[in-house]
Amino acid sequence: MIEIAGLTKSFGPNQVLRGVNLTVQAGDSMVVIGGSGSGKSVLIKHIIGLLRPDAGMVLIDGTDISTLKDKELYEIRRKFGMLFQGAALFDSMSVWENVGFALLRSGMREREAKVVAIEKLRLVGLKDVEDKMPSELSGGMRKRVGLARAIAHNPEILLYDEPTTGLDPILADSINELIIRMREKMKVTSVAITHDMHSAYRIADRIAMLFEGRIVQEGTPDEIKNTSNDLVKQFITGSAQGPIKVEGISF
Amino acid sequence: MYNFLLALGQTLIRFTKITGEIVLLMWAVLREFLLPPYEIKNTFKQAMEIGIKSVPVALVTAVFTGMVLALQTVTGFKRFGAESLVGSVVALSMTREMGPVLTGLVVAGRAGAAMAAELGTMRVTEQIDALETLAVKPVKYLVTPRFTSALFMMPALTILSDFVGILGGYAVAVWLFGMSSVLYWHRAWDNLELSDIYNGLIKAAFFGGAVAIVSCYKGFYTEGGAEGVGKATTGAVVISFMTILISDYFLTAWLFK
Repeated sequence: MIEIAGLTKSFGPNQVLRGVNLTVQAGDSMVVIGGSGSGKSVLIKHIIGLLRPDAGMVLIDGTDISTLKDKELYEIRRKFGMLFQGAALFDSMSVWENVGFALLRSGMREREAKVVAIEKLRLVGLKDVEDKMPSELSGGMRKRVGLARAIAHNPEILLYDEPTTGLDPILADSINELIIRMREKMKVTSVAITHDMHSAYRIADRIAMLFEGRIVQEGTPDEIKNTSNDLVKQFITGSAQGPIKVEGISF
Repeated sequence: MYNFLLALGQTLIRFTKITGEIVLLMWAVLREFLLPPYEIKNTFKQAMEIGIKSVPVALVTAVFTGMVLALQTVTGFKRFGAESLVGSVVALSMTREMGPVLTGLVVAGRAGAAMAAELGTMRVTEQIDALETLAVKPVKYLVTPRFTSALFMMPALTILSDFVGILGGYAVAVWLFGMSSVLYWHRAWDNLELSDIYNGLIKAAFFGGAVAIVSCYKGFYTEGGAEGVGKATTGAVVISFMTILISDYFLTAWLFK
């Protein structure tokens, strides 16, 4: 279970998170929606401890990771897998070395790690790519490899940073399906951030909208669809007109 | 006046901040160096990149430096009839000064730039974040091996440069100017002390460590996409060069009393 309470974070004069409260039950799929610059990425980076909060708490199964020492934090990170927006594959390594990276680091033999890597690649729908280099793969394939790497050490929590951004609609939906399959097969808790509403409805048990550093509404996909909140309504219908102003543009 | 003071203050604050961050990175590198697990495989890979692959450039640099030193000495010292000193001049210049400094500059230009560009690209494509999510400490995995390799490979490269530089001087003095081969070696060895060589190697190790730390720092804290990587790389080379040239004076003053 992930519990976030009163999370605030500033970068210089720029206050990005202004007291975020959010709970994700174990086994749930939470999708955080919000516009560009709403602080989604900063939020997800706090969940895995890549950033430390200025104030507030991030509890992972009851442990507050914001106050942990480095060593304990690295221990708790083993519970996590994260898929990055651009996949963030290590471009100096082959595909299987990427997928098996955490296993190799924890002392598994190369041969065994490669077997696991190939199995995880199958799980994300890829075969015969294990000896390729990341630069030889298409964008969609790189995301799949990134996902295979994220699940290689059987994490309990999966984080997705804009999983469908930059993919065509069909590829994007295949990633959505993969995310759903991961949850069913591996029983993981997942948190995704996205501004792709189609994807959000497909993969979410619950949706939360982040606006100006706060969660303005949280609920099931149906509750979000039928929202009475003007901010949320404008965002999910994708309208330039409404209470959310587009910065720097005037007609 | 106000603007001048403002700019001065901001520069000072930035300088202090960067110095502090470099010291902290240095501290983290040393801690990770001492704590197991050790990055042996990775360190060898980096030693290959930084050391072995720099050998050709370092050798060409050294041989021509030795050659030009001999050429200048023979032609210049002729004015007061001291051209027989060429062996000493080449040997002392190479071991005390040219060997470490020029090898340092070569390593900064080759390996330092590569470190900054590689780490910078890893930063902007979130590969460094990815390392952390896979429970691997980026400093331990990326910076410590580069630092250790540079620290040990620089003296190794330098001793090669020293030797090859002296040989280059020999070629010019003996083959081109017809000086006695015995005289060249006699002058070279007799006036050379062991301390000239090892103090030069201490300099080299310092330059190696400094280049690695500065370049990794620049790469590690890159921001702003492709342009940022370019800036980080340029910055790494410029700061490395400055660090080598400025610290060289103080190291010389301290080591060669």
